[in-house]
Amino acid sequence: MGRKYQTKFPCARIKKIMQSDEDVGKIALASPILISKSLELFMQELIDKTADITRRKRGKCVQASHLKECVATEKKFDFLSQIVEDVPDKEKKPRSKKNQKDESAPKVKAANNKGSIAHIVAGPSE
Amino acid sequence: FKLGKIGFTALTLSVMDEAQKKEEQTLPKATVSKLIKEMLPKDVRCANDARDLILECCVEFIHLISSEANEICNKESKKTIAPEHVLKALKVLGFDDYIEDVTDVYERHKTESQEVPKRSRKLEDTGVSPEELARQQAALFARARSNFEQTQQQHPM
Repeated sequence: MGRKYQTKFPCARIKKIMQSDEDVGKIALASPILISKSLELFMQELIDKTADITRRKRGKCVQASHLKECVATEKKFDFLSQIVEDVPDKEKKPRSKKNQKDESAPKVKAANNKGSIAHIVAGPSE
Repeated sequence: FKLGKIGFTALTLSVMDEAQKKEEQTLPKATVSKLIKEMLPKDVRCANDARDLILECCVEFIHLISSEANEICNKESKKTIAPEHVLKALKVLGFDDYIEDVTDVYERHKTESQEVPKRSRKLEDTGVSPEELARQQAALFARARSNFEQTQQQHPM
């Protein structure tokens, strides 16, 4: 069986990461090797599914938000939800000088307006 | 606040120690970056923050499998996390589709590690008797000693 990828994970490091858990005692020599292969398969699956989302959005570059969407879609990736939870859902577009609209300013919604004029904030309005 | 040379060294070493400890808890960035590049289609790039997140996901995966394998190991009253525990963990956590390939790697490792013990009888293989070997060793020492003494005369330490 040929090596699919040139790059390999360092088994010694995998073992150290495993041992950072105090509950973990001794580890058989082959075990980090199996985890290394599992990790390679996991990474491949994560990247494949994220790249699908990138392609669907007609992007040429995989973004953190694509990763977040991928994690949300797959049940087996549930354990990753905390890692991606701080990623904003919508990719922030770079501001051009022409467009003066400040999208991050609080939007004044009529429904939320408690009737106080103080809520109508200074700054460019919609 | 004055540290003095020794204090400065001790502080630097402890900072380096901390950094090294943190480094031991993650995977090498270069390794993960190279793999991402190998795994993505040629015309697709990966943003830096996405790359960092993928690295974190990989470390988290190790913790996940390791922790489950450890539980399985304990339930079997074993002290060492064996490959079989890792395979069972994959199944329990919903990564059944990895089991076939991972088992192949395990089988390959088992056959390869059986070939190693043959090589350790290196000295017997040379076909030279122990007496002759001792004589050769003495000659090598004598030569090394005279070389050393010559350089001492030229450049005394």
